[in-house]
Amino acid sequence: MQNSRRLSQAIFLLAFLFLFIQTESKGADELGYPVKLFLDFDPLIFVTTLLSSHAAQKTFYLSFVVIIATLISGRVFCGWVCPLGTLNNIAGYFKRRKVGVKILDWNKVKYYLMISLLASSLFTLQLTGVIDPLSLLIRSFSLSVYPLFNYGISAMFDTVYDLNPRGIVDVSESIYSLFRQSVLSFQQPHFRQAAFVGMLFFLILGMNLYEKRFWCRNLCPLGAFLGILSRYALLKRSVSEGCTECGACSFECQGNASPDKKEQWKPTECFYCWNCDDICPHNAVSFGFHSRSVSKSSPGIDLGRRRVIASMMGGVITVPLLRVNPLSQSNMLSTKLLRPPGSLEESEFLKRCVKCGECMKVCITNGLQPAFLEAGLEGIWSPMLVPKVGYCEYRCTLCGQVCPTGAIKRLPLQEKMKVKIGLAMIDKSRCLPHAHATPCIVCEEVCPTSTKAVWFEKSIVKNREGRVIEIQQPGVDLQLCIGCGICEAKCPVKSQPAIYVTNIGESRSDKNRLLLT
Amino acid sequence: MDRRDFLKIAGIAGIGLSIPGSIEALADQNETSLAVATGASPEKITRAAIEAFGGMKKFVSRDDIVVIKPNMAWDRLPEQAANTNPEVVAAVVKLCFEAGAKKVKVFDRTVNDPRRCYIQSGVADAVKNAGAEVIFTDERKFKSMKIQGEAIKEWPLYTEIFEADKVINIPIAKHHGLAKITMSMKNWMGIMGGERNQIHQKLDQSLVDLSLKIKPALTVLDAVRILTANGPQGGRLSDVKKLDTVIVGVDQVAVDSYGATLFGMKGSDLGYVRIAAESGVGTMDLSRVNIKKISI
Repeated sequence: MQNSRRLSQAIFLLAFLFLFIQTESKGADELGYPVKLFLDFDPLIFVTTLLSSHAAQKTFYLSFVVIIATLISGRVFCGWVCPLGTLNNIAGYFKRRKVGVKILDWNKVKYYLMISLLASSLFTLQLTGVIDPLSLLIRSFSLSVYPLFNYGISAMFDTVYDLNPRGIVDVSESIYSLFRQSVLSFQQPHFRQAAFVGMLFFLILGMNLYEKRFWCRNLCPLGAFLGILSRYALLKRSVSEGCTECGACSFECQGNASPDKKEQWKPTECFYCWNCDDICPHNAVSFGFHSRSVSKSSPGIDLGRRRVIASMMGGVITVPLLRVNPLSQSNMLSTKLLRPPGSLEESEFLKRCVKCGECMKVCITNGLQPAFLEAGLEGIWSPMLVPKVGYCEYRCTLCGQVCPTGAIKRLPLQEKMKVKIGLAMIDKSRCLPHAHATPCIVCEEVCPTSTKAVWFEKSIVKNREGRVIEIQQPGVDLQLCIGCGICEAKCPVKSQPAIYVTNIGESRSDKNRLLLT
Repeated sequence: MDRRDFLKIAGIAGIGLSIPGSIEALADQNETSLAVATGASPEKITRAAIEAFGGMKKFVSRDDIVVIKPNMAWDRLPEQAANTNPEVVAAVVKLCFEAGAKKVKVFDRTVNDPRRCYIQSGVADAVKNAGAEVIFTDERKFKSMKIQGEAIKEWPLYTEIFEADKVINIPIAKHHGLAKITMSMKNWMGIMGGERNQIHQKLDQSLVDLSLKIKPALTVLDAVRILTANGPQGGRLSDVKKLDTVIVGVDQVAVDSYGATLFGMKGSDLGYVRIAAESGVGTMDLSRVNIKKISI
């Protein structure tokens, strides 16, 4: 059984990585792969999004597959499918095997976390994505693990290229080009907070050295959700009379489900990894749908009524706690908070965004970056456009295509090209033609709307020598500008661009309007 | 030999050396120096215009590695006339292979995202089908080079241009806010690395400096569709004018000077054409250029 489980884990991990790598533009309008598929199967995201925003994305009905699978055969998702579980599983192999070391009995923590998340979401606060395993994994890979993988591989080949040892460069360059065509990203991604997000991820992997599957056993809210369901699972474990309680299965257990204690086996903690069955020297363990099960005597989850209530209270209190912040009023957004085109109005947006980072991974210019506190703590790791890093490509609709919860609407191209994410304005004290009598037309040249939002006024100016020059000075037509930020991204005054976009005038907000129209 | 004798001999030798040159110049007068072909099929007019020079064999030799530089800087569709017509580029690729070229490479350093520009312009697919290698520019291959011009002294340029046996420039004729019209000479911005948008500060002179550095074997100006306003990336179909024309020449100043007439201007209206002619890069005065017009 162990080998079939490993095979299944490998297949799902590879499928995950494949879809992850495909979350990248090839130049066509559509991606061609259902890259957010894993998130569509996530029932916890489904339920909390439903509670917080009262909206269900159609594709989320796929998560019923996971719910049904759990009702039949327990937390097989954790043991056989979940890619983060598989990575934890692999990291767990590095743990030194010590017999008789007491482990933390923290497995209830995940239930309290889940209860808090559900309570928050009932009161419109969506924080699940922060610790949902799939969302967390995609985000960590997008913002940190994959960029550092790219950096490492490219740096290696670049070093060979620069040193140029005879005969080797051709070989290394052809291997490099194979890498570029298969697993490397088109251009090196850069993300703010890459180190922070990455350290959290590696911390989760590192915890396996303390206790294997630490995250899955003790913290994972999706595991808790499935754990509650698996209490009623049809597939049960039974132990025959042959069991001598030798404890051989105890260390092999992935889920800390007390397999060595015949009657005390905890179905809610079991990943159905079959290790206890495989290892048992007396062949006394079996899994089956038989009625002669131990279920009637097996313990449920005793979470304690007071603690459950405390968790709920915690979740409920978090809602106002995060919202009594001027930034969460829609007319007081941080000026630089430019949301991707098609984003819902800010409060609706936050109710749905699960911070999975798919939009940031797919953004063709790398301009979508994780927010830190620009949208309050509630909006941590939600996407914002930073034009200095990358502008919004006029004819691209990818972020809306990959958003799993509809926080960014999927817009047809013609509609997307009209969405204002903000407005550009000129800093005349820095602009070359305005302040320094020097010709420059870059913002006008790159402006993608037709008619162009950046227009010229021919002016006669004098330079320092008193020579009179005719110069074209740019202005912005606020009716036409969509705030894509290409002008800011390409402005030669790089340190602090002389034309820049803020979110005033964004189409999604009624309160952030500028023009009387 | 005294000084007088030396001068005599040197003088005679000088005359002797100059004669073949002047004979060639005379012959040039009768040969085509600009071919303008008009017709419904972009491929056919491209072929016809190059045929007017005696075919691609005049420019590309057997086993040559040829670099073709179209303009595909923008994420726009062919009918929006912001990028070179894909059929024109593909026709040139085919002609290169027919002339015996070993390899044809096509690239541009784009302004919008390169993946989108290559695909949406239609150029990548068209030239791949014709057998060319489509490459995305590699940052490591921009190497700082001496230009020693009036405006640019040194700039990172794409090395593959200088490593190729032959270079063919295939720009599209379109409106530009500063240059007025962008054609062949301005198309070389696509091989510039670094912060190239600084050259707008002295655009005309910079383009001439750049043109002195790059020696294309042939220039094919695509005027199948021209963009008359809102350039250089356009977007609106009402700004596009269909002329079904290509202009082929070796002298890029002459090509651009002729191109200006398509927009109702003269070569001398364009600063970079005027300066280029003064600097001896080529001929601006079209009355001194032998133009062959072909209609299919």
